[in-house]
Amino acid sequence: MKKVESIYPNARIPYGTWGSSYFPAWQMSALAEVNIGQFAGEAMSKIMSKRKVQMKNLDYLVTGSTIPWHWKFWTSPFVSSCAGFRLPGYHVEQACATGLKAILLAAAEVQSGSSDTVGVLTFDRTSDSPVGVFPERRSYERTIALSDVWDNFGFDPATGKAMLTTAGLAARKYKIDRKEVDELTFYRYEQYFNSLESGFLNRVLVPMEVLNLQGKVLGTIDSDAGVRKITLDGLRAMRELDSCVTSGTQTHASDGMATMLVTSKDKVKEFTPRPDIDIQIIGRAEVRTLPSLMPEAPVLTIKKLLNQTGLTMDDIAVVKNHNPFAVNDAIFAKEFNYDWHKMNNTGCPLVWGHPQGPTLTRVSMEALEEAVDLGGGYVLIFGCAAGDVGIAAIYKVSEGGKN
Amino acid sequence: MTKSMRQSTLDTLGLGNVIDIFKNGRLPVNASELVEQVFGKESERGALVISGANGIVGAGKMMQLGSRLQPYGIPLIGLDFPGVPDGIGFQYAGLASSFGKKQADEIMSSVIRFNYEGTKLPSLLKKFNPKLLIEAIPEILEIKKSHYKIFRDSFPGIEIKSVTSGFPSSELGVDIYHPAFPHQINKIWEVVESKPSKITQLFWVLGMLPIPVSDNWAFVLDVLFCGLTLSALRYHEATNMPFWKIDKYVRKLFGPNPFRAHDVIGAKGANFLTWSCLHHLSMHYGKLFEPTASLVEHKDGGQNWYPLNHLRPMVNWSVDENELKEFETWILGSLIQMTSLMLHENRSHLTYMNSIGELCAQFRNGINSQIRRLGKENSIKIVDSFHKLFPDASPKAWHPDVFDNLNKPEWQQLYVNAEHDGKIGVITIARESYNWDVNEEMNRAIDWLKAEKIERVILTGDFHLSTQLVGADTNEFFPALNIEKEGFRVSYEWSKTARRLNNEFKTSVGFINGKRCLGGMLELMVHCHYLVSVDDASLGAPEVTLPVVPGMEMCHWTFRKAKSNDWEKLLKLLLTGKSVKASETIGWLTDYAGPMDKAIQITYDIATNDEKALPKRIFNEGKLSGLPTDISGIASQSNPAVKAIFDCIINSCTSDLNEAITIQSKHSGAFMTTKYCQYGFIGGEYTKTMVV
Repeated sequence: MKKVESIYPNARIPYGTWGSSYFPAWQMSALAEVNIGQFAGEAMSKIMSKRKVQMKNLDYLVTGSTIPWHWKFWTSPFVSSCAGFRLPGYHVEQACATGLKAILLAAAEVQSGSSDTVGVLTFDRTSDSPVGVFPERRSYERTIALSDVWDNFGFDPATGKAMLTTAGLAARKYKIDRKEVDELTFYRYEQYFNSLESGFLNRVLVPMEVLNLQGKVLGTIDSDAGVRKITLDGLRAMRELDSCVTSGTQTHASDGMATMLVTSKDKVKEFTPRPDIDIQIIGRAEVRTLPSLMPEAPVLTIKKLLNQTGLTMDDIAVVKNHNPFAVNDAIFAKEFNYDWHKMNNTGCPLVWGHPQGPTLTRVSMEALEEAVDLGGGYVLIFGCAAGDVGIAAIYKVSEGGKN
Repeated sequence: MTKSMRQSTLDTLGLGNVIDIFKNGRLPVNASELVEQVFGKESERGALVISGANGIVGAGKMMQLGSRLQPYGIPLIGLDFPGVPDGIGFQYAGLASSFGKKQADEIMSSVIRFNYEGTKLPSLLKKFNPKLLIEAIPEILEIKKSHYKIFRDSFPGIEIKSVTSGFPSSELGVDIYHPAFPHQINKIWEVVESKPSKITQLFWVLGMLPIPVSDNWAFVLDVLFCGLTLSALRYHEATNMPFWKIDKYVRKLFGPNPFRAHDVIGAKGANFLTWSCLHHLSMHYGKLFEPTASLVEHKDGGQNWYPLNHLRPMVNWSVDENELKEFETWILGSLIQMTSLMLHENRSHLTYMNSIGELCAQFRNGINSQIRRLGKENSIKIVDSFHKLFPDASPKAWHPDVFDNLNKPEWQQLYVNAEHDGKIGVITIARESYNWDVNEEMNRAIDWLKAEKIERVILTGDFHLSTQLVGADTNEFFPALNIEKEGFRVSYEWSKTARRLNNEFKTSVGFINGKRCLGGMLELMVHCHYLVSVDDASLGAPEVTLPVVPGMEMCHWTFRKAKSNDWEKLLKLLLTGKSVKASETIGWLTDYAGPMDKAIQITYDIATNDEKALPKRIFNEGKLSGLPTDISGIASQSNPAVKAIFDCIINSCTSDLNEAITIQSKHSGAFMTTKYCQYGFIGGEYTKTMVV
């Protein structure tokens, strides 16, 4: 493995101290009916318990979400009290970059010496998203009512375009072929179901029972509900909504949470069951591309990141991304001359959904598990985010992980 | 000379043995005489002063003592700082609901309230001639000491008792009367004094439960309850499991909900008291008692343990078998170790230590009975495993050698004692409800009396811890809800024990001296050749209301001893669940009912002289005939429980005595697996307690 210095040399992600809820599609589970902030706090505590992490040993919490939730004002201190341990902390929000951004900010907290062990907790509930009522004196309606998820998906106020439009525009710019996109999508589903059936995802995903007010079980969150096996013919038959974009080749809204830890290199052995596995953050980058070309933003970001780190794609062992559109993967593959069969091996948001806040957190933990299976290596994580933004980071998993 | 299996708890109060009560024909002390000795003659009665009278303890005890002392014309003086919230007035509604408005008004009319700014007693206090001060002021040693000095300077000779839970008597310089929550109704007082005082004996005769304990930091109840809370907190910090869920597992394992209890008592005060108790214990015994960070935070912040209503728990927690074992180790290991410390220091009679958990801390089974069931080796093994999880648990506070004596009577007879004077034996039950422990101890007590060649026996409560006998411990029926043979086993085995009272003694007399004797306990008592009761005791068979089918032969035994024209009364008792006063049951359920002293005397007379004292009712061991077939005037057969009990009555009565035990047990066991029982009180309790 090529030697590259970490941008946060004192920060470590303790192996195996992470976990995520399943991501049931919107309106398909009990998560559609609860305060997701409270759920996330309680779920984090439970996940950490399963990972033998005592919450009392955390000293800071970075939370991340993108959709307003009840009592959001109180951010991390409130969520941590739901986890049973009152911590300081703050909330981060950067659309679909949130899940990765929260990890990077937690690492920065540790690197700064301000905190020793920082919890990362990202979550979102797309179901029944709140409707904001905004007095806008300059609009002819005088008052704007905005449904947070769907109205924002449909309209970027900076460009006037919908998310879906950015995929179509980028597909046309990069001359992406619908046939390839359908095949790519079909392959991604195969990867996910293979991973699910092999039990790999059990290392990341933790089933939860959600209780109602009476303490009875309201529902069990034990699958990425809504994800069904598809056929290539079925994909091909789907109506194109924009160039290369059908309902099959784009992600779907879902609900969920994901959590992990970042701690100092001195403390890491106190948390991980495998102190021999060393996980560092090597680099990070963010780029904004031209208006309404969001799916190409990650490509530009990765180029910048590789340039910063001196690494090439040949140095990367695991590639995994947040791909709300299959077009994203096709553009990435084309630009880096990279075989898209080699990436997203254990599944990806195109298949298991798009709860926004926790998406890239789950992507990260799946990728790190994959790297450990491979015996270590560099892990490239990337994704696009609202506002034509790309985010990317490289983790380094020490060699010998699979042992 | 009296011999007993183990020391009677009455003896620890300086009140002799239970058999002495029967031999002397009266209770060992008299309330009027003791009132006079403590508060002076009627013409010059002194007062009871409670300082800190508006606090949760002070106000509760004002009501409890007030209701008992009011008939003797003792002024009740409540002393507190000016401006504190009116805790005494707050108690009025409870008092009225317990005693009725008229009596509540009378009790309140005896309460005189004075304000006190901390340095000088109200001058008018002298007029009331205070004789006894019960101090319930804040847990600050210097303030308490100066409080005592002010009283002693003003009223030399005044008796002072502190309700402290924070300091030993040696630190305070006064005796301790440490009461248990809830203060209005819990009658337990842990008493620290060099020898049983007249005040302690007065409390006993007034119906309180004084329990002598040794003078240590933190008393038995606090070690058990605060210790349990601490053990649960350690588990919380080790595993993140939320308090509400830990409470559920603790309830399943032991019975109490330590965190809920803190919230109910009032988290701010209770958190401080728990912390204070553990803090002082940790100063003396090390990290075994050291408060955890979350307790310190809750003490400082005063916040509740359960989430606020709008944040009711959302994510469920469950544990697998291994995790449950670890949970048990954290909780039980810690408690066994703490108990070993108390045993090592001889903190109290073992029956007290055991009962305090049950009567004050909601333990389903006392800690000593649990240890006894586990045995020495298993108990030590659990503590060893606990030490692996919590290596800081101080070795100096671990005394495994105290479990060497598990086979001694002190351990073996926690609930049931036996005494005899060479001629008459007395079996005493110190538990209000009948369970497997009581059953086993009953058998050992009978065995002991038989081995001592005693042929005449009196069965009674212990005149101390069991102020009433409420029936079978329904927790013991949980396994029977789904397994019919378990229900049969409970019924059959307990009935077999009860029959020994009839079969193995020349004369046996059941003596009911408490407020009530119900269900399984009454069934046990009726197996004696004679049944004597104080006249105002309530007797009943509430099984139909639970519903269960009575399992200890009430359905036929009583019919065999009653005249056929009294059978309807028995049917009413069994099929309506309504209690009757003992005075109304003479001849068909009891053989005698009268005032306490008279009932005691008759009991001893019968035990000594059999039929010369009172003719024995005929006991028909054959098949009964002529039982009523129409019960429409009594209860509706469309009620499945009524029908099941009536069927059991008919089938067991129309069999001979030998067959009847099996028939009744079959009826009882079969009904427990029906939906009526599963969705009734017992099923509900099972779900609430055992389904986590």
